[in-house]
Amino acid sequence: MKRVSSARLLAALVAGSFLVAACSSDGSSSTDTAADTTTADTSGSETTADGTDTTAVETTVAGSDAWAVNTDDCIDPAAAEAPIEGTIKIGSAMPLTGGVAAAAFAPVKGGFEAYIKYANDNKLLGDLTIEATIEDDQYNKDLTPGAISKQIDAGVNLFSGIIGSPNNAAVRDTLNEECIPQLNALTGSPAWGDVENYPWTTGILVPYNVESRVYAKQLAELYPDGAKVALFYVNNEFGQVYADAFKELAPDFNLEIVDEQTIEATDAAPPTAQITSIADKKPDVVMAVPLGAGCIGFLTELAAKKAQNTGWTPATFITNTCASSLILGAAGPAADGLYTSGNLKDVTAPSNAADPAVKEYLDFMNAEGLGEIAATAAAGWTTAEVTIAMIKQAMESPDGLSRASIINAARNFTYTPSLARDGVVDTMNGADDPFLAESLQVLQYAQPTATFTDIGSLITEFETK
Amino acid sequence: MKPIAIRSGSAASWAIRLVCAAILVYLAFWIPTSASNGVIDTCITALTLMAAAMALNLLLGYTGQISIGHSAFFGIGAYTTGILVSRYGWSPFQTFAVAFIVAFVVGALVSLPALRIKGVYLALVTLALALVFPQMMKWPKLVWLTGGARGLDNTGFKFTKQNPTYEIFGWNPWGSLRGENVKPFHYWIAMVIVVIVYLACRGVVKSRAGRSLVAIRDNETAAAVMGVNLASTKALAFGLSAALCSLPGCLSAIRTGNVTPDSTNLTVQGSITFLIVMVVGGAGSLWGPIIGSVLFVFITERTGDWSDPDAIPGVLRPFFSWSNTPPGTGIFSIILIVLMFVAPFGIVGMWRRFQARFVTVVPRPAGTGTIVEPVAAPAEA
Repeated sequence: MKRVSSARLLAALVAGSFLVAACSSDGSSSTDTAADTTTADTSGSETTADGTDTTAVETTVAGSDAWAVNTDDCIDPAAAEAPIEGTIKIGSAMPLTGGVAAAAFAPVKGGFEAYIKYANDNKLLGDLTIEATIEDDQYNKDLTPGAISKQIDAGVNLFSGIIGSPNNAAVRDTLNEECIPQLNALTGSPAWGDVENYPWTTGILVPYNVESRVYAKQLAELYPDGAKVALFYVNNEFGQVYADAFKELAPDFNLEIVDEQTIEATDAAPPTAQITSIADKKPDVVMAVPLGAGCIGFLTELAAKKAQNTGWTPATFITNTCASSLILGAAGPAADGLYTSGNLKDVTAPSNAADPAVKEYLDFMNAEGLGEIAATAAAGWTTAEVTIAMIKQAMESPDGLSRASIINAARNFTYTPSLARDGVVDTMNGADDPFLAESLQVLQYAQPTATFTDIGSLITEFETK
Repeated sequence: MKPIAIRSGSAASWAIRLVCAAILVYLAFWIPTSASNGVIDTCITALTLMAAAMALNLLLGYTGQISIGHSAFFGIGAYTTGILVSRYGWSPFQTFAVAFIVAFVVGALVSLPALRIKGVYLALVTLALALVFPQMMKWPKLVWLTGGARGLDNTGFKFTKQNPTYEIFGWNPWGSLRGENVKPFHYWIAMVIVVIVYLACRGVVKSRAGRSLVAIRDNETAAAVMGVNLASTKALAFGLSAALCSLPGCLSAIRTGNVTPDSTNLTVQGSITFLIVMVVGGAGSLWGPIIGSVLFVFITERTGDWSDPDAIPGVLRPFFSWSNTPPGTGIFSIILIVLMFVAPFGIVGMWRRFQARFVTVVPRPAGTGTIVEPVAAPAEA
């Protein structure tokens, strides 16, 4: 039995480390999953205004020719069209434990729940009470179906803000068969635009391929004669989609990719070898797609390599998952001058302090004891805000509030979130425009003042018309 | 109090077995027909973990070969199904046999170092396998097949409500097999996999090969002296364990409809989960992984909403309300550490010790099986 004993010892040691990890999963590292918005043609829609506090709610009521879901395909069409009264239950699944992902996404949950409380406190849906439950799926797609089913059993009317592409994909068949809206998936996978096969599933983030296109366009403006670009990305689904899109676009914008380096999402060590390889190629631009703490490691390592290679000063483009003052602040001077993008206001910027929406957001978060995560919780807040706006639009529709009217409202939707940058408008228009958010503002970060400066104007040209 | 002695193979022994079997069969049919979707999904998760842990148990619990690489075999199952379904349009059912064979071959090949190394060194070799597998799936030269870091989509069944259900005299013992609700269908696939893995493990363990495995575990030299072929027995155990572990991997691809190399069960974390579940339940026992996985999933599920202090039962609130994340993993880890001190043979071992105080099962003495009467010699004419 000697070997079995050593197996037990091994298991005990591992369990000990799990225990330590579990106890320390309240980490404060964060990733900004910036919720995004779009501008679009809203012809054919009737607009109604709502003056609820900071939420500049301007929802649309779909016209008679608007897209409408076919409930005949539902397992139980009557349930999909049954009126929702008294209380509306919103469900979600997020990584609340499980290490790096949990630590990165914890603020999203805080922001999401804070807005639900805000909406209830301010009776944004009148007498309708909003209940939100967020189950833990540990960022493990095998656990997401269980988390979702549990909530369906508890009578959840719709889901919103499920994090992770594989996690959303793992439940979209079930939710589309059951005809339960799966709104505002917190991932930028282009897969959420499949209206024909998955009409009940929508996303909220700017599709990753659109963000890549925005950067390529900006690069073409900075380097009209073309540029040598090095790609650095996290080696998972998220990074791969970005990289593939960028590589596909590069020739159109006269960009030559001279190096391609990756890092694993779980790697804690700085990417020294990868950056050394990039530095050897002396590219004009480094296009980076890191995640969470990887953003800091990448920036620090790149700054060190630039210091060693006098005269090599590449422009650095980094995805907006890193565009959080918390992350860039931690990177220090290494983050100075980088380019990124966003479409939410920077709630920590002094220039936005007087903004009524930002002020009310920060006041509410501070009152709830969530002031520390306010910068990164904005994504969760905005996701919940957009969800409530969709529900409100469904309530005001001629069909009244039901699961079917919610998805109809979501797919015929125009709205400006309170924390969105000026000019940003969220729009979905049935199969013609299946993505909620497709416009972005290119930003440049100034480390001494810890602020973002707008580069050019809001890019809306990639919005599906 | 003197424990009651029940003779193995006696009527009382069979009655107890039949009652237990009846309860299990009743539960197996009650879940898809009467339980909620949430319970069915939880059961599928538990059954998936159960099959993987049972497969690992065959190798570690019975043969004493430490493996931290079973996530790779789980992944081979997932990717075989994923590739054949999404790239080549196979039916998911057809992929199980292919996954079994592929995993068996890979497992047998990995066992080659196991012929020369033991203990922690073998653990390191298998750890390398667990680490390499996700990277292999992301390898740019294999993207055409594996989908790289993006993985594969549409790897499951696609149902519509037009699919038939199956009833016997108006009663649907299978739950809604198709269409109406896909969960009972996945449940039955998981159940069949668990039964297959259990029967395979039981068949091996109770056979001459099983006794060879245990002999190798307890004393390799003595086993060799007794005529056990170490190389082929170890390779067979590794291959079979790997092949069985691939089956829940196939289910994972079918159930979630996608396969990605960073899925938890395909990484080292998956291997460690299989290992812990098996050890907590009881290594070297057929029922150990079953009990361990049920307990693991139960704790994870019950504590899933404990990030909200109001959801924590009153007595436990002071212990867990300080954390804003569910404490399931932490609780399970504490259970494991405590068990290592009070019940090193896991929950099953603890139960056997407890049961022995009241009931003892007396094995049938050797040579007391069915007696075949000697055939009388024909009378001489």
